[in-house]
Amino acid sequence: MKTYFKTCILLFIIGISNLLQAQSNSGLEKSRANIILDHLKHPSKNYVLAVSHRGNWRYAPENSLQAIQSCIDLGVDIVEIDVRLTKDGHLVLMHDKTVDRTTNGKGKVSDFTLEEIKKLRLKNACGVQYSMQQVPTLEEVMLLAKDKIMINLDKVEGETVREAYGVLQKTATVDQAIFKGRDSVEFMKNKYGKLMDSIIYMPILIDNTKNPEKYVDDYNKELSPIAYEVTFPTEDSNNFKLISKLNKMGITVLNIALWDALVAGHTDEMKLLNGADTSWGWLVQHGANGIMTDRPEELLDYLREKGLHN
Amino acid sequence: MESHPLLKKREMIRYSIMVLFSFFYLSSCNEKLEQNPNKKKELVETAETTPVSINQLISNLEDSSNKDVIVVAHRGDWRNAPENSLPAIQNCIDMGVDMVEIDVRETKDGQLVIMHDETIDRTTNGKGRVKDWTLDSLKTLVLRDGIGHVTTIKIPTLEEALLKSKGKILVNLDKSYDIFDQCFEVAKKTGTLNQIVIKGKKELEAVQKEFGKYLDSVFFMPMINLNDSEAENILNAYLNKKIPVAFEFTIPQDTIGLIKRFSEIRQKGASVWVNSLWPEHNGGHDDEKAVIDNTVYDWFIENHIDIIQTDRPKILLDYLRKNNLHQ
Repeated sequence: MKTYFKTCILLFIIGISNLLQAQSNSGLEKSRANIILDHLKHPSKNYVLAVSHRGNWRYAPENSLQAIQSCIDLGVDIVEIDVRLTKDGHLVLMHDKTVDRTTNGKGKVSDFTLEEIKKLRLKNACGVQYSMQQVPTLEEVMLLAKDKIMINLDKVEGETVREAYGVLQKTATVDQAIFKGRDSVEFMKNKYGKLMDSIIYMPILIDNTKNPEKYVDDYNKELSPIAYEVTFPTEDSNNFKLISKLNKMGITVLNIALWDALVAGHTDEMKLLNGADTSWGWLVQHGANGIMTDRPEELLDYLREKGLHN
Repeated sequence: MESHPLLKKREMIRYSIMVLFSFFYLSSCNEKLEQNPNKKKELVETAETTPVSINQLISNLEDSSNKDVIVVAHRGDWRNAPENSLPAIQNCIDMGVDMVEIDVRETKDGQLVIMHDETIDRTTNGKGRVKDWTLDSLKTLVLRDGIGHVTTIKIPTLEEALLKSKGKILVNLDKSYDIFDQCFEVAKKTGTLNQIVIKGKKELEAVQKEFGKYLDSVFFMPMINLNDSEAENILNAYLNKKIPVAFEFTIPQDTIGLIKRFSEIRQKGASVWVNSLWPEHNGGHDDEKAVIDNTVYDWFIENHIDIIQTDRPKILLDYLRKNNLHQ
C-alpha cells in the first residue's frame, strides 16, 4: 500500500509539472507581439526592428493577407499597411486611391461597397491577376496579426483614426497597432481629443516639418510618444540632427530606407549596389532603432548576422 | 474486470515511468523542432551554388529522355528586380534557373528593347507605346519595381540582355516571331544563337515557309492549345515530318486525352513544355497552389513534362532539387 501511495504522489508531481510546462508555453509567456511592443518602448543598441513596407510584396500581392503572413513567418516585427474607407464605411487595405493598379477592377475605393470590392482579385508584382487573393479588410488583418506581429497603419492619419480604433477594439488589438501622422500634436488633440491617449501614435518628422525641435517638444510634453518616424533628405537636415537627441531620451527612431530623399541615400537600393553596411548598417550606426524596407528577408538576414535581431 | 491489487501497483509504477519518459521525450522534441529551420536553410544555400555550363544547359534541352527538368523564369526574377531587366536576368543566373523568358519589342527607330506591355506606362516612368519612342529617348527613362516605385535601372536592349545571358543561361524570346529577322542579327552579333529559343503558334507548313531559314540555327518550339480542335493534327504533322526540340502545350483542363501522349512525344525526341504560371495553362496545377503545397508540381512530373515556365523559380527549384530532378 505504501508503494501505491508513493506512486500516486509521483504521478501527481508529474501531472503538476506537465501542467506548469503547458502554462509557461502558452499563457504565462509574453506573445511575440508583446515582445515587439517592449522593443518599441525600450529601444536598445542590441535590437533593430524590421518593418516591412506593404507586407512582403515580393512574395505575394502588396497589402494582401498572404503578404502579411509571409512577414509573420519571416520574423518581421512590424508590417506597414495602407487603409482606406469603402463607400459603405468599411476599412480595407489599398495603397492607391483607385483599385486600378493592384486589382483586376477599375475605380475609386470610395465608390465600391465591401461586397463589390471583395469580388476583385489582387494582381501580383508583374501585373498578372491570377493570385486569387482578395482585398482584405482591416479586421481580417488584425485577426491574422493578433499576438504575432505589430501593424503600422498608413493613410488613416487625420481621416479614419476613429474607424480604425473601432476595428482594433472589436478585435482586441489596440496595443498591436501603431498610428502615425505629420500633423502637430495640437491639431491631433483638437481633432481626436482623449482618443489620442488610447492609441499608440508615432509622429512623423518629414522634410518640411516646420520647426522640428518644437514639434518634438510639444509631442513629448502632451503625448510622450514611444516612437518617431524620422526622414532626412541630407545629413545637414535638422531632422537628422534630432535623431541623437531622441536616442538619448530613449525614444524609438524609425527610418524609412525606401528611397533617397527619406534617408539621405542610404536605401535598400544602395544595399544592392554597395552592400548593406553602407545602407542599413549606416542607419543603425546613426541611431536607427527600426528600419522600414522593401526587402524584409534580406534586412532580417543582415540584422541577424550582426546580432541585432532574433 | 477486477485485477489483483499487486498487479495494479506494478501497472501504476510502469505507467509513471512511461509518463516520465514521455515527458522527457517531448521536451527533447521541442529542441529538435527549434533547430530544424536552420538546417533546412543550409541545405538550400549549398544547393544553389552549383554552377552549370551553357553546354550542359543546351544538351539538357536537346535531350528529351533524361529526367532533369528545365526551369524557365517568366520575365526574369521579377520579384527581386524589375521585370525584364538585366538584374532580373542576373538573379536567375545566380539562382540556377536554366532559361529566362523575356519579351522583345521594336522601337520607333527599329531598335530592339525588352518590354512586356505594348506601352511603357506600367513598368517605366514614361508614357506611350514602345513603337512611338526612339531608343535614345527610352534610354533616358528608368524601370519601376513591383509596387510601381521608380528604380535607377534602365530599359535593356535585346543586345544587352543577350550579352548578360551569354554563356550562362538559355533565353526564350517572347513576342519575337514577327520581328525575328532583326532578333537573329542581334543574336548572331552577340554570339548567342545557340542559346535562343523561339516559339510560335503556327502549323508546320506556315512555320517552314515564314521561318524555314532559321529552323536550323535556333531552337523553335511550336505552341499548341490542347483545347484546339486541330491540336492533334498539328501535333502529328510535326511528329511525322519535323520533330522540334520541344512543344509548348496549354492545358486548360487536366482531363484532356492528349496528355496521355506526352510520354510518347518525349520518346520521339521532343521535350514537353507546360507553364505553371496560371491555372488555365495546366488544368489548375499552378504556381499559386504550389506556394501553399509544393507537391502540386507532382502533376507535372507524373505527366512527363520536362520544361516548366514559372513565376516561382525559387520554390520550383527547391522542389526539383529535393526530388533529384535538377542540379
